[in-house]
Amino acid sequence: MYKFFLYSMLVIIYLGLAKTLSPSEIGVQYLQNEKGFSKLVKGPMTTVILVDTHATGFLIKTFYQKYRVILGYDNVEELIVRTSREFARKNLPNIGLSVYRKFNEKEEYLPLPPGSIYVNNNEFGDWKLNKKGETKWKFKKSFKNFPRYLGWGKFRPDEKFFQDLKTSISLNQTFYGPNKEFGPEGYVTQKNFPHFFKGERKKKVELKTLLFEYFKENF
Amino acid sequence: MAEIFDRLVIRLLLASFVCLMIYLYRYAHVIFYPTVKRQVLKKIHPAENPADTLHLFSRVIGISIIFSSISFNETTGFFLSLFHFAVWGTIAIVLYLLSLYIIESIVFYNFDYTDEILKRKNMSYAIISFCHAIVIALLSRTVMIEAENSIVILLVLWLYMLVIVGFSIKYYTFISKLSFNRLMIQKNMSLCFSYGGFTLGAGFVVASCFDQEHYDITVYCIQVLLKTILSLIIFPIFKKGLVKIFPIKMGDERSLEGHVENEMQSLGYGFFEGCVFISGAILTTMIVNRIQFGTIYPFF
Repeated sequence: MYKFFLYSMLVIIYLGLAKTLSPSEIGVQYLQNEKGFSKLVKGPMTTVILVDTHATGFLIKTFYQKYRVILGYDNVEELIVRTSREFARKNLPNIGLSVYRKFNEKEEYLPLPPGSIYVNNNEFGDWKLNKKGETKWKFKKSFKNFPRYLGWGKFRPDEKFFQDLKTSISLNQTFYGPNKEFGPEGYVTQKNFPHFFKGERKKKVELKTLLFEYFKENF
Repeated sequence: MAEIFDRLVIRLLLASFVCLMIYLYRYAHVIFYPTVKRQVLKKIHPAENPADTLHLFSRVIGISIIFSSISFNETTGFFLSLFHFAVWGTIAIVLYLLSLYIIESIVFYNFDYTDEILKRKNMSYAIISFCHAIVIALLSRTVMIEAENSIVILLVLWLYMLVIVGFSIKYYTFISKLSFNRLMIQKNMSLCFSYGGFTLGAGFVVASCFDQEHYDITVYCIQVLLKTILSLIIFPIFKKGLVKIFPIKMGDERSLEGHVENEMQSLGYGFFEGCVFISGAILTTMIVNRIQFGTIYPFF
């Protein structure tokens, strides 16, 4: 019993020391849920886009998420955090979407297409009529890189997009675009966040193929 | 041809210089063990006192192990590389002998070198001392390599290594059924094999904890500490596992504590414990150091 007690103490001391002193534990912040964004993200007119998600570990998984933080009047930052299992799972269908927005000291957590916060805001751009006769949102020159940061590619929101967006917000429903352009199934997200959708990350390898590759590489 | 011959001459000269350094060690040995002055500085009689011969030559093996960590850089010039070797060789010898003196003062606090080796010719004491010499040399070598010619880092790591070794040696009383002091007085050989196995095993584990890349001394020391504690967690699993896989029976189950009547049985138990400690320790180093968990960044 005495030895068991000593051994348990040793395990606890190891875990405690590893947690407080290990360099791998320092630097990556922990995000329990969406409420934690307010502590991590500063600045007005900010939108946080979920770029990638990853789990490590064999039996006990650790979940990591990569975000692109667009500070409206400032710059673009990358944020890697450890998250809870629940939050990681909850966010799986939100790849490429804005999961947190902050404007005028107001915070929003409803997953929406990236850049929803800037659409119809005259400080950032205007509605313009193009050659095809469609009214599309266009960012001002000082924000000309925003479509690239937001992962829009060639996509530009039109007035229907904005109306549907407003309806979804009023119903508190996740919005993936009028034709589901965004999210894991959306072509805009798939095209502009290719790292997450890489073939080898999704591919399931058969044991036979795995063993064949192993012997081919090692012998 | 001239170049090859020149390199051979340099090697021969350096070999002679190393011999000279080992010759100087004879005098350093006398500083720590003044009672053997007559025996060491004149001719040695191995047959007269095998325990003393083993004790002396274990130090010579240790010095050789440490010297193997120092390299000659011929590109800086022949005399400068000799000077470098002389400086670091002297530092190594001093630290090595000091470490041995401290560790043996902890382990043999009830015993005296003059009584045990010179008067009683205690082979158990000599073999344990031999194991100490090898282990401390191995650790000093690792520390010298990690110090990368920085005297400050060398001193920090050397002190750190001494603290860890000091604590790990005290661990023996927790995991062995043999009574150290009583069996040492009895010159029992089972003790030296059991303790020798333990010391060598502990040395391998601590050396493997120190043997890692370092960029920042604080982070390095933290990593060494964490690995040492991790080894303390892993080692009992292998020890218990090996004892379960190879169960032993030695006479009466209650008489394991060195009271065995048959000396061969006692010796066998010493071998058993020593082998379990060494194999457990080597397997522990594998679990602690040889598992690559990778990093999340390549995937991210």
